[in-house]
Amino acid sequence: MSPDRPATGRAEPAARRDRRTGGGDHPWRSTRLWPDGRGLPTVALLAPTWGPASEEGWMTRQVAGALATVADVHVVTPQGLGADDRIDSVFAVHELGTPLTRTAELRRDLLIEAVTASGATGGGRVPAAVGPLLDRGVVDPWAGASDVLDRLRPDLVVVAGHQHVGAIDAVDRADPDVPVALLALGTDLDSLDFPHFDRVFDRAGSVLAVTETERSAVAAAHPRPERAHRIGAPMAANDSALSEPNPWVGSTDYAIILTDAHSEAEEEVVELARLIRLSFPEQPIGISYRDVFVVWHEGRWSAGWPVERSSDLGRLMAWSRMTVDLRPGPLFARRCVDSLLFGTPIIVPAGSRAQEHAQRGRGGLWYSSPGELMWCIEALFDPDTRGALGKQGRAYAEEEYGSTDRFIERVVGAVGLAGAPAGDRAAG
Amino acid sequence: MARAKDQKDRRPNGPAIDPTEFLEQLKEGHQVLQWEPLPPPPPNRTIGVEQDRNRASLEYLHHHWQLPHTYAPEDTGGGAKGKAVGLFGRLTFRVLGRYLREERDLLSHMVQVNEALERRCDQLTLLIQQLHTEVLNRQVAEARNQAVLAVWLHSRLPADAAGAPGTTSTPDGPADGAVSPGDAARTR
Repeated sequence: MSPDRPATGRAEPAARRDRRTGGGDHPWRSTRLWPDGRGLPTVALLAPTWGPASEEGWMTRQVAGALATVADVHVVTPQGLGADDRIDSVFAVHELGTPLTRTAELRRDLLIEAVTASGATGGGRVPAAVGPLLDRGVVDPWAGASDVLDRLRPDLVVVAGHQHVGAIDAVDRADPDVPVALLALGTDLDSLDFPHFDRVFDRAGSVLAVTETERSAVAAAHPRPERAHRIGAPMAANDSALSEPNPWVGSTDYAIILTDAHSEAEEEVVELARLIRLSFPEQPIGISYRDVFVVWHEGRWSAGWPVERSSDLGRLMAWSRMTVDLRPGPLFARRCVDSLLFGTPIIVPAGSRAQEHAQRGRGGLWYSSPGELMWCIEALFDPDTRGALGKQGRAYAEEEYGSTDRFIERVVGAVGLAGAPAGDRAAG
Repeated sequence: MARAKDQKDRRPNGPAIDPTEFLEQLKEGHQVLQWEPLPPPPPNRTIGVEQDRNRASLEYLHHHWQLPHTYAPEDTGGGAKGKAVGLFGRLTFRVLGRYLREERDLLSHMVQVNEALERRCDQLTLLIQQLHTEVLNRQVAEARNQAVLAVWLHSRLPADAAGAPGTTSTPDGPADGAVSPGDAARTR
């Protein structure tokens, strides 16, 4: 890509042209060609943020990377201090400088929760007064995306996040006929079938879901279930983690508890971690908090630096008897997949997204109450039980998540770009 | 140490486990609640009996610590034998009188010390009894709290256990396990 791309804005006439015709009027377009001589397709990825800080952000980047193997990927995001175009690895990033505020997103999520709990969506419609409230502060930031799309004239638009009605509006303003694929990012199943977002799903020609739970929810809530595709995620066990244990805990058989909370916080996961420690006083237990990592061994409570690097966490999970993730990731419980790739069985809350890995992948157990949590941990201290579950879980994780090539095939096939020339660029 | 963990965990291939069935069996095995908090022990009252026995001994000391410290001529009787005994008695008390008075003072102080010790022992006994009562009360509270925990463990809702981010409240009370007095009463 050339750095002398035009600045964001309506710099070119919005004349439509035939898709996949080469795009020679865009100096930053790739020189890669389809077998029949056509230029690579242009894909515009509309994402509320661009960064791997969350599971949703990480997943968005992986999908963009998969698409970058067969297309020129332009990321359009409302984030940024001002309108700006920049290059990030193989992606052209167009920042609008109108970020969505956390307050507006929180208000939207609370309204969804409240309306769903009240049963006001029984007729498949959201009360008229609620619609504007849902859109307040989360639609307007996408207004500038239309100009960027006018300029890019993409062959395909991928919207990351099913709640982004504003992104769909921007797409329709720019080109109502452009194909749209939706990366659902359905961390909340209630939100997936919330009527207010129906038009996002209706507009999408294909819907990408990470897990089977998410795919099933989309297929059940919206027409044309064949549009919903499970894409998984590209992950791999770090072999170096298996060669040497974490020096802090050593190779002593232990269970690792992941809380994703501060050690002094008045949260239920902290209480559960304490309950586990008190219930199994003779077992070595490592507890990872956000601010500290503690090891409970032979009646001693040793505190150390918090686990911040994923390589350290991987090493801890690789040598652990079991991984108890009290608060798994909301999209696909990435840490649990990591643990299964190391052959370490998992224990997760029932109803969480990680239950799919434990149940469908047969890689662990799940609990509905603290009592069940204790029984599950006790059961996995049995080497035969955890050995069998760990083996099953590893096979599942390697099959569903362990291949980048399969992930790319699933993504590219789901959005209808299969057959495009594979590039030699590593996306990432 | 390549793949050391694999070598450590290497076991013969066991039968596959279906987690759903395994969990059902696990729950069935724990259906009967076989646990209950230990009742506090009955208070031990033997300390009071020992106290009464010591008090009787001390009363005896109070009544018998005064030994004779002077010679009484009427005790010797009459006649030459009486005069001889009287003379011997006067001589004896004249010679040993100082020693006998000091010995009497010594006994007096010993009785006083015993009296003070007895009072101190009484105070300590009372303190021990008070502490014992406090320990018992603490045990009762602990047992009650354990019973509340047992109920909490068995009645916790799945959605709360799943732990939605930022959620700290529960339908039954605060998330930190603290239970209202009403909850505690229901466990008894």
